[in-house]
Amino acid sequence: MMLADAIRAETWRLLQNRTALLWSIVFVPVVGLAASIAGNLFIDDKISAVRDRLPSQLRLERGTLDLGQALLEAAGNLANPALLAFLLIGAASVFAGDYRWETWRLITARNSRPNLIMGKAGAVKLMVLAGLLLMLAAAVIGAVAKGLIFGNSFVFHFGAETAQSFGLMFLLAFVRVVQFLLLALLAATVTRSMLAALFVPLVIGVAQAFLAKGAPLLGWRMGDWPTMLLFPGDAYEVLKALIQGGMMAAVLPDGAGWRAVAGLALWSFAPFFMALWWFRRQDLSKE
Amino acid sequence: MTSVIETSGLTKTYGAVRALDGLSLSIPRGGVYGVLGPNGAGKSTLFRILLGLIRPTAGEVQVMGQPAGDPAVTRRMGSMIETPRYPPYLTARQALRWLALAHGMGAEAETDRWLARVGLTEAADRKVRGFSVGMMQRLGVAAALMTRPDLVILDEPTSGMDPPGIQEMRSLIRSLADDDGVTVVLASHQLLEVQRVCDRVAILNRGKLAAEGKVSDLTASGERLRLSATPLAEVIAVLGERGSVQDDAVMASIPRAEAPALLRALIEQGVDIDEARWVGADLESVFMTETSSVEGDRP
Repeated sequence: MMLADAIRAETWRLLQNRTALLWSIVFVPVVGLAASIAGNLFIDDKISAVRDRLPSQLRLERGTLDLGQALLEAAGNLANPALLAFLLIGAASVFAGDYRWETWRLITARNSRPNLIMGKAGAVKLMVLAGLLLMLAAAVIGAVAKGLIFGNSFVFHFGAETAQSFGLMFLLAFVRVVQFLLLALLAATVTRSMLAALFVPLVIGVAQAFLAKGAPLLGWRMGDWPTMLLFPGDAYEVLKALIQGGMMAAVLPDGAGWRAVAGLALWSFAPFFMALWWFRRQDLSKE
Repeated sequence: MTSVIETSGLTKTYGAVRALDGLSLSIPRGGVYGVLGPNGAGKSTLFRILLGLIRPTAGEVQVMGQPAGDPAVTRRMGSMIETPRYPPYLTARQALRWLALAHGMGAEAETDRWLARVGLTEAADRKVRGFSVGMMQRLGVAAALMTRPDLVILDEPTSGMDPPGIQEMRSLIRSLADDDGVTVVLASHQLLEVQRVCDRVAILNRGKLAAEGKVSDLTASGERLRLSATPLAEVIAVLGERGSVQDDAVMASIPRAEAPALLRALIEQGVDIDEARWVGADLESVFMTETSSVEGDRP
């Protein structure tokens, strides 16, 4: 019950922080949607100019657009760097807010410290869920807009296999985003700084991306233990490839999936439990 | 007299600094209890230990019969330590709503009633980023009381308030103790306010207990005989070191039993006595007496 209180209070407070919500979960889908519509309008304008000059027998027929496939593709692109970076704003606000506004002392007396940390993590997970759903909504609206712009007809094929792939892809994206944001929890708890909560995960993420590019120089292949344990971004890509199937999945070494799960789990649980351990012994009389 | 707070040999050190130095204190249940002391005396450290925000280096502390910091106890406490702060994007009403949720309360928190009780109804929907220190204090007190605690700890509750606000706060604190049966423990530098609102006080100095007792007892122990007489020099000559001139009168530090003999002696010396009356010490003079002995040693 006390954990539920902590989650409810954190979530309610985050909902009042309109600026953080705008930048963390609304900005990327809305700007992405606007850019997609603008780009398609531009392309359609250029194509129309050419098409009108072609003889009628050479003009291509307008095809159909599968919204189910569009949804699946959107799920595969959810955990993109832009969304990760902007979700960090909301996460930093939740994780470091009580240090910045010196409000820990108002809430620590009536709840246990593990509950307070888990309450924050719970609120951020709900924010991530909302952000991912908004991204999906924007992708579907973008697909519909694209179809309308290019005069496509619409179909919606979403069989059991597609639904399973979609569900796994969505879950994987959720885990990857939460894993990344938990680095902000650790940074905020140790440094008591909102800036650190914002920049430490970014720096770690960028460093991991660069180092992952150089991994083949060390003889490490995608799916090997070192890449999976050191680079959670690669672990996410491996699992995504296994869900999607195709060429990349075919060249992965045996057991790559389990190693990827282990890597993501390590990078999720380690920051969380380190933050919890630190927080339990932290002097909160001076935020 | 049952105790709501008991400390024994309570010590807290920060590096080489001893914020609390073997403090043993018993605070009775009910009424308003003042904790006084100069800056650095250990008041805030004591409050933070009582609330479980920090752990003592040594010693024992029990709050309502349980170790300090036990969630079962802290859930029955309300507190305001120093000037509280709130996320600036919240209004006063939202701040209380957020805290009510954090404390597992719903509508029973009666946030509007508490806002009214601390005089913040008109500012209820204003963002706290524009609040003065006094308004923050009022909001902090509302937050501390909203949970209907058995024990309230208030650190400088009237800091930054205007005189009418101080008077309102004094009435509120008194009514909490008298009408709601809440034990209020407060720290304040406004000694006149403490004298008016507190039943008992403890004076801390450099982490140690310098004096403790009922306000009336502490002030009575310093009572003096005020003599308006002519000539004053003759009165001083009779009293010696026990007399001092203050505002055209002599203040005589003598026991009550010696007063008749002193007055007879003065009359025999030809002194004209216009007025003789007993004057109790105010809390400020008690405070200064109890804390000045080592004030010069302060680093």
